[in-house]
Amino acid sequence: MTEAAFLLLTGLFLPLFPVSMLFNWLLGRTGNHLLRALLLLLWPQAGLLLLQNLAFQVPEWSLTLALATSALYAFRVLAIRDIGQWCGFLATSSWAMLWIPVHADIPMFHVQLYALGFSVPLVLLAFLGSGLEQRFGAACTGLYGGLAESIPRFSTILVLVVLAIIATPLFPSFFIMTAMLLQAMSAMPALAVGIAGVWLLWSWAGAWLLQGLIIGIPGEERPADLHAGATWGYVSILGLLIMAGIVGTGLLS
Amino acid sequence: MEKIILIVPMIPVLSALLTQLFSARLAHDSARISITGSLLTFLVSVATLWFALSSPGSHTVSLPDTPALLLLDPLSSLMATVIAGISLIVHIYSRRYMADEAGYCRFFILLDLMTAALLVMVAAGDLLTLLIAWHLVGVLLYFLLGHNTRDTSAWRYAFWTKITYRLGDLPLVIAAVLLYQAYGSWSLPVIFEQMMAQPDAHRVLGLRLPDVVAALIAFSAYARSAQFFVHTWLPYTMSGPTPVSALMHAGIVNAGGFIINRFAPVFVQSSDVLHWVFIVGLFTAVIGSVLMLTQNDIKKSLGYSTMGQMGFMIMECGIGAFSLAIYHLIAHGLFKGTMFLGAGSVINGARKNDGVPKDDLYTFVVERKPARQRLPWLTMAAVTLAVPVFILVSAHWLISQDYFQKQSAVVLLFFGWITGAQLIFSTYKMGTQNMRRMVILAIVSFAVVVLGYTLISHAFDLFLYPDPVFREQLYAAADIHIIWFDALIVLITLIIIFGWFITFLAGRDGGRKNRYASSLWLMFYALTSREFYLPHLYTLMTRRLLRLAERLNIWLRWI
Repeated sequence: MTEAAFLLLTGLFLPLFPVSMLFNWLLGRTGNHLLRALLLLLWPQAGLLLLQNLAFQVPEWSLTLALATSALYAFRVLAIRDIGQWCGFLATSSWAMLWIPVHADIPMFHVQLYALGFSVPLVLLAFLGSGLEQRFGAACTGLYGGLAESIPRFSTILVLVVLAIIATPLFPSFFIMTAMLLQAMSAMPALAVGIAGVWLLWSWAGAWLLQGLIIGIPGEERPADLHAGATWGYVSILGLLIMAGIVGTGLLS
Repeated sequence: MEKIILIVPMIPVLSALLTQLFSARLAHDSARISITGSLLTFLVSVATLWFALSSPGSHTVSLPDTPALLLLDPLSSLMATVIAGISLIVHIYSRRYMADEAGYCRFFILLDLMTAALLVMVAAGDLLTLLIAWHLVGVLLYFLLGHNTRDTSAWRYAFWTKITYRLGDLPLVIAAVLLYQAYGSWSLPVIFEQMMAQPDAHRVLGLRLPDVVAALIAFSAYARSAQFFVHTWLPYTMSGPTPVSALMHAGIVNAGGFIINRFAPVFVQSSDVLHWVFIVGLFTAVIGSVLMLTQNDIKKSLGYSTMGQMGFMIMECGIGAFSLAIYHLIAHGLFKGTMFLGAGSVINGARKNDGVPKDDLYTFVVERKPARQRLPWLTMAAVTLAVPVFILVSAHWLISQDYFQKQSAVVLLFFGWITGAQLIFSTYKMGTQNMRRMVILAIVSFAVVVLGYTLISHAFDLFLYPDPVFREQLYAAADIHIIWFDALIVLITLIIIFGWFITFLAGRDGGRKNRYASSLWLMFYALTSREFYLPHLYTLMTRRLLRLAERLNIWLRWI
């Protein structure tokens, strides 16, 4: 009974369907963007802390359930237009993958870095989403287009952040996904095909999100673009992520 | 000296950074930075080719503090020179062509980054670097195709391209992971060496590793090179800027042929994969050519023409003629790039003056005057069948006397014979006034093409695969049982002769058509003109999937 409760609690933080729904419910109810950022950063870390203190072996079925959860949210995100929800679904899909390195007995510190590699770009997107809410009243795709023309700096950062989320090289998520494929191949080759499928769905979702925002003819209102300081801030974090990604290749050797 | 390969991709990256840095100050003039960078890249690439010619063998250069390796070998230096050359032409062309477009500097930055990614891809000496470059090419192409941010249609098809490319990336990732797991190294030379020494040492799900990896790489190549079923992105991406179309059709789409060549040591050890590669290539070549002929949109027609050519390229790999595929992709790249870049000025010039001289050729092609006299049918049939054989046999005899021992050479001869015979047959059917002249012209041009193709591809063979044993292994890997081979050749010959016979009968009957044949023909035409309904099917599937995702979200309360 205690084991089941412990697993349920871990499945809440390292999302396993259906308890994964609680995180998305909570994220949806959190209006403050700083709180959202904290949630996105700390939620999987809490799950990993719980796993560290686990006194029993994680059951094999959790791996299959984790991949199913990841695939379910990656598929569902295709129909999501709200950026906040998009962040939550992508977070659920990527964090569920963390069960793979856990099963492969990868050092916990590395898994914590994996979680961070997934979370940081999502935090950046959450901030960009709140920027859109301030400018347009809502952060939704398909409502207003042409951001590439009306707010080009903001759009460039948005594009880079989405690329970082959907595991594009040279961002850490790319190397994390490659590492996970390696780990999955050792455990269960069929799992690797599933991971590849999830990766494909992320790319689809990312392109969908971008196309709903940056292309098209801009409206008559010209909102303020990202100011230079904020742009440099985002660029610095993205630069750090790329450097972390390149350094992270060492983990793959 | 081999470290020169490191400089090749670095120049366009640097050029992209400088173009971005100076874009505010120099405005449109910042394109000059990009063009200068492109010229330098080309010059350094030529230097790598010179190095590869003067110091045969494969040289590896490692990037400090990373597992990344770059290769300076015949394949990488040749491909780098071609890519840098095409990129330079596209850069120069774009300077004026894109001048009135929004995002002028962004275009040059993306073009530089694309050049860099392609150069890294061809020089990658380890699986990780290859994966990174392979993936980035798809991402950059997506943004280049969607350069005009107001054009939703361009973005729609850029999205198709991206998804197809991602579909092709994933088998390559899985192949890379399998190779790393088996050999414990990302380095391609290390992996190839171990695989050549012990090809049967590893198995995946009960199958031989070289077979699984070769099949996965072939799938990746199919998506990149628009093979049938994953081809729909190619003819629909014409809404992008013309220089991007030129770069895509001249360079990017050829990646399939390159990747098969890069993994030649794996394909050599595989058992049946090359036969499937041949079948897919052949099917794509035929379907692509048929679709090209039935499209009434000239841009789509060009797209399908590229698809057909890619089919030929993949088919050449399937018969073990790997270096011929490289020659084919270079020749096609230059030809198609010229077509795209020259189309605008040709159309513009033709509006003022069609420039067609009113000579014999004009009366033949435009006025379609009937022939005063025709050569006897039997003589023409003999010329049609015998002359191509004579030309092909002579050309091949020049380079090797034992070519009839190789199945691949026989297949190529067969295709050459069909093409030559079809050329003379079509010339005869056209009914020109000066038949003798036209037939002689057709034969001479055919002879020039065959001789050029045979001699140059032989030179490519010696340069890219200098080891004669490995060359023999490549051809042997593509061989099938001799009885099957002979049976297939006889079957295809009979089908083609039957086709010619039907065409002859149709011409002799003066256009009178059989009712059933007409309705069959109409059905076939409807299918091909609608591209076998594949784009519709894919759109329908996408809509269904999106609807299912929405339904799931509703059931699960959007959380």
